[in-house]
Amino acid sequence: MTKDLEHNFVELLEKHQNIVHKVCRLYTNNYDAHNDLFQEITIQLWKAYPKFRGDAKFSTWMYRVGLNTAITLYRKSKRTINTQEFDNVKFKISAEEYDDTEEQQLKLLYKAVHELNDIEKALVFLYLEDKNYKEISETLGISEVNARVKMNRIKTKLKTILNP
Amino acid sequence: MDELELLKKDWQKKDDDYPKLSYNDIYKMILKKSSSIVKWIFIISLLEFAFWSLISILLKDSESMKRFQEYDADYILIPLAVVSYVILAYFFYLFFMNYRKISVTDSAKVLMENILKTRRTVKQYVAFNLIFLVLSVIVVLFIEFDKDQTLINQAQLAAANGEAFKFYASIIIATFLLLALALGVLLLFYWLVYGILLKRLNKNYRELKKLDM
Repeated sequence: MTKDLEHNFVELLEKHQNIVHKVCRLYTNNYDAHNDLFQEITIQLWKAYPKFRGDAKFSTWMYRVGLNTAITLYRKSKRTINTQEFDNVKFKISAEEYDDTEEQQLKLLYKAVHELNDIEKALVFLYLEDKNYKEISETLGISEVNARVKMNRIKTKLKTILNP
Repeated sequence: MDELELLKKDWQKKDDDYPKLSYNDIYKMILKKSSSIVKWIFIISLLEFAFWSLISILLKDSESMKRFQEYDADYILIPLAVVSYVILAYFFYLFFMNYRKISVTDSAKVLMENILKTRRTVKQYVAFNLIFLVLSVIVVLFIEFDKDQTLINQAQLAAANGEAFKFYASIIIATFLLLALALGVLLLFYWLVYGILLKRLNKNYRELKKLDM
């Protein structure tokens, strides 16, 4: 029975692993930390799996567990401090060298998103994953109106970062 | 175009950029142990319950307590012991009920609240112990002044020399300095352990609450 459960779980997670990778991408900035968080989310998903009921979609359920692990349960491990960062280039681009291509803008946007706080990142993540405000508010436990208000503030914040 | 829409378009087309873990990689992961803060809070809380229970057991077996039994102070010592056990059981029950409520599938806010509530139970238990400790010391001090022959003799001698106030004051001040030192060390320990462990959770919880104001 446990073997079956294990098998089903691992198969499902293998299929939907990108969701976890995406959470890790937002909340960590190097390879070791990414793996560390991935590992912790996997353990939390597995621990909660026996209570998972088919009435929710596995992927929807993963968003919640993944984000909860990233913003609440996860303790940054020490070994992640000294390793090379993915993207250690600071994008300090002055007006004259600023190349207004989409690629540049995207780099700046990713950088800006990385600088948001944990809760703002969670909102942005769910938004990027095309979740509606109802789902966003339920995942975080805030009201729908407040989720919208906060999202608009984040948009303004990102705009200001890009166009100082 | 809206900046976030631009980002969304890019984010969604990058599905092939992520590492692909194999079935075996994931299988190995589920066999590993979690290092989440909930696990740490659970371990530290159990240690705290064990620590305070041990302290009360050690105190009961100590030399001074044996001496105490000769004073016929049972009328006060037994109720104190009963109260402390009942309260330990009550807090332990509360702690477990709160701990069981922690579920990673709740919303972020509820999850944080449940973790903080579990933590608060232990904190209240510790606060109770500290108050109990102070009260016990006061009771013990009274009984000693009342029953300990050496102390009574010394007090009488001091009184004869007109130094009664100085005598009592020095004992009381010394006792309270020792108590304050013990409390200080304990509070520092708590501040360090929980400060480190709960820093991020507290910050994120405040942020979520701020959103809902």
